[in-house]
Amino acid sequence: MIKIENLSVAFDGTEVVKHVNLEVTDGEILGIVGESGSGKSVTALTLMGLVSDTATVTTGRILVDDCVLREAGKKVDKALYRTMQGDSMSMIFQEPMTSLNPTQKVGRQVEEMLKLHTVLEKEERKQKVLETFEAVGLKNAPTVYDSYPHQLSGGMRQRVMIAMAIILHPDLVVADEPTTALDVSIQNQIVSLLKEINTKENNSMIFITHDLNLARRICDRVAVMKDGLVVELGSTEDIFDHPKEAYTKNLIEAVPSRLKKRVSAMKERGKREPVVQVKDLSVYYLDGNGNPFAGKKKSEIVHNVSFDIYKGESLGLVGESGCGKTTLSKAILGIHGGYTGEIVHATVRPQMIFQDPYSSLNPAKTIGWLLQEPLRAQGRLDQSKAMTKADMETAAYDMLRKVGMEEKYFHRKPSQLSGGQRQRVSIGQALITRPGLIVADEPVSALDVTVQAQIMELMQKLQQEMELSYLFISHDINVVYHMCDRIMVMKEGRIVEIGETESVFRNPKDAYTALLLKDSL
Amino acid sequence: MRRSDILKNKYLLIGLFMTGLGLLLGIVGLFWTPYDPAGMSAAERFAAPSLHHLFGTDNFGRDIFSRVMKGLSVTILIGMLVVLFSSVMGILLGALTGYFGGILDEIVMRITDALNGFPSILLALVLISIFGNGRQNVILALGLVFIPSYVRIVRSEFIRLRDADFIRRARLMGVGKLRILFVHILPNVFSVFWVSVMIGFNNAILAESGMSYLGIGVQPPDASLGKMLSDAQGYLQGAPWYALSAGLAIVWVVLGFALLSEGIQRMNKA
Repeated sequence: MIKIENLSVAFDGTEVVKHVNLEVTDGEILGIVGESGSGKSVTALTLMGLVSDTATVTTGRILVDDCVLREAGKKVDKALYRTMQGDSMSMIFQEPMTSLNPTQKVGRQVEEMLKLHTVLEKEERKQKVLETFEAVGLKNAPTVYDSYPHQLSGGMRQRVMIAMAIILHPDLVVADEPTTALDVSIQNQIVSLLKEINTKENNSMIFITHDLNLARRICDRVAVMKDGLVVELGSTEDIFDHPKEAYTKNLIEAVPSRLKKRVSAMKERGKREPVVQVKDLSVYYLDGNGNPFAGKKKSEIVHNVSFDIYKGESLGLVGESGCGKTTLSKAILGIHGGYTGEIVHATVRPQMIFQDPYSSLNPAKTIGWLLQEPLRAQGRLDQSKAMTKADMETAAYDMLRKVGMEEKYFHRKPSQLSGGQRQRVSIGQALITRPGLIVADEPVSALDVTVQAQIMELMQKLQQEMELSYLFISHDINVVYHMCDRIMVMKEGRIVEIGETESVFRNPKDAYTALLLKDSL
Repeated sequence: MRRSDILKNKYLLIGLFMTGLGLLLGIVGLFWTPYDPAGMSAAERFAAPSLHHLFGTDNFGRDIFSRVMKGLSVTILIGMLVVLFSSVMGILLGALTGYFGGILDEIVMRITDALNGFPSILLALVLISIFGNGRQNVILALGLVFIPSYVRIVRSEFIRLRDADFIRRARLMGVGKLRILFVHILPNVFSVFWVSVMIGFNNAILAESGMSYLGIGVQPPDASLGKMLSDAQGYLQGAPWYALSAGLAIVWVVLGFALLSEGIQRMNKA
């Protein structure tokens, strides 16, 4: 049994975890949910003894079966931690690519756990690793044993990580966002696997996530954290069905769900004016292996797709990673030249909103400069659209207000903004030249749920005001349901289904669509 | 950045002081020195350091302090011009090769590989023997030798940034290629580039001193710290202050600048 009593953790005098009390018993899964910066990861890392040395425990203590693991005011007992880590407590991280050593075969990496903590012979160790691989659902265990991380898919890598975490049958497994980097269908498999392991091994599990739907599905009890405090703690049913705290209510409210009523931003139906028409489009890459003297191989990513996007509508594009969503959008935007077929635009210069708000704004420039740059570029390309400096500045200030930001941000740099604010600026930058079509590639998936809801609302508001069309790419079916009038499902470079959102959701015609919808429920 | 952070940063403070003093002496030395640096005086040969001659006098009775000031200004000026020349060339080549890649990239990179294959001083010697002696030629030779290091750094940064989301967006907006290169990407390269410029400046000073020591750098009557060091060699026993003052002046500037750049890096990190 793990007990966290009155735990506070501070970095440089700033407390990021404040008086947290948590308890996990055997066979239980405790969920810690919260938005970024809520202190959920720091809590877990402190528990695991993995928090950086600049952090200090200012109050409280951590108990494992009544043995004090860490206490405020006392030095970290690193030796004690080392005997516990891996053996009786282990952790699964978010990013399976960076948590495995790329230069070593994964079998060897898992085996190292046994080498450090057991006295098994070489052959026995290998046998045990293979057994564990099978237990976590890795088919063909001997091949996986001899593979390097890059030879495995994301889901397989995460299974290897799980194998590593449970091979010594620890009493506690901490899973920090274990499925965030994975596709929906694989997410489900991993979550079921964790649940199954928990039942079988009767261990304690702490499941940290920002995804409330996931927490609801897997956890027995849930702690909601905000600004370092546990604001609410209770059984999963209580938390989700009868939340007491306003913050919990907000959080649950913000989660896009198809149980809620959909609001369409499209003004009138019937009048269908296409902004872009795609006919028999195939998109390919020329791959020369980086050798300028070798010939180039043609590899087709998108096969023969045809569809229209109409004025004022949002067309959702869903599919798993690698299905060609991004490649298709690049071709539509005109930044990928290798295609056959036809793309007819009714507007000029469609713009794009990217997923990662941290890399989509130039860090060296101010917000004001960034908002004016599209206008400058436009003016340079087309003399008739050139604007004076004062006009551009006014337009930039207008746009800043439109995306819901105060004027004071005009002279700030992106690094001084939060993720949500950056995404607002990104949207402003895309819209300032009034393009008719916006390609939004996972525009809200890197954001916290409450911010996600705000950005979606903003996008719908602007859509109405400016008669925009969105091609909305997302892996999150619920977000797409919330945002889009029609949806288009892609698989392996082909469109398997396209239709009105409501009808696709009610009775999907294609088996793959049905599967996607089921997985995301 | 808070004032207290700057005051706590010992590297920065000491570096600023040493570089500042070196620079001050060098700049003043351009216009005024206590004595004529070339003025000989048979009566005052090998005078030990005193209030009249701070660093003493040399074998011709010339005031060493005045000559150090003159030498500092020559050395620092050459160092700066070398860095300026090679870094501007490095930025141009690195930006073009990094952003566009392709055959130009291959050619430039193979040439820089070839240049990197030789020790830089040796290469500079070869270039001097082709161009001939003289201050301009020293700058040109050293400048050419130092280009590859800048090309590599700038190129790798441009490769990293050319596919960044914000550059993709700039392309979508219709921003021209040159503007993307020098207005959108370049400012993001400076923080990394700045460090190599600082290191490059020190390397240039040391290389210039080394060349002058070998007698193929700055020619008399121009004073040069490296040349002074080699002249002083014969009088190490009788007039150790001669070699010491020239040598310490080089160490002073290089060390001061190294501390300064370390201090700036630490400040940026904090």
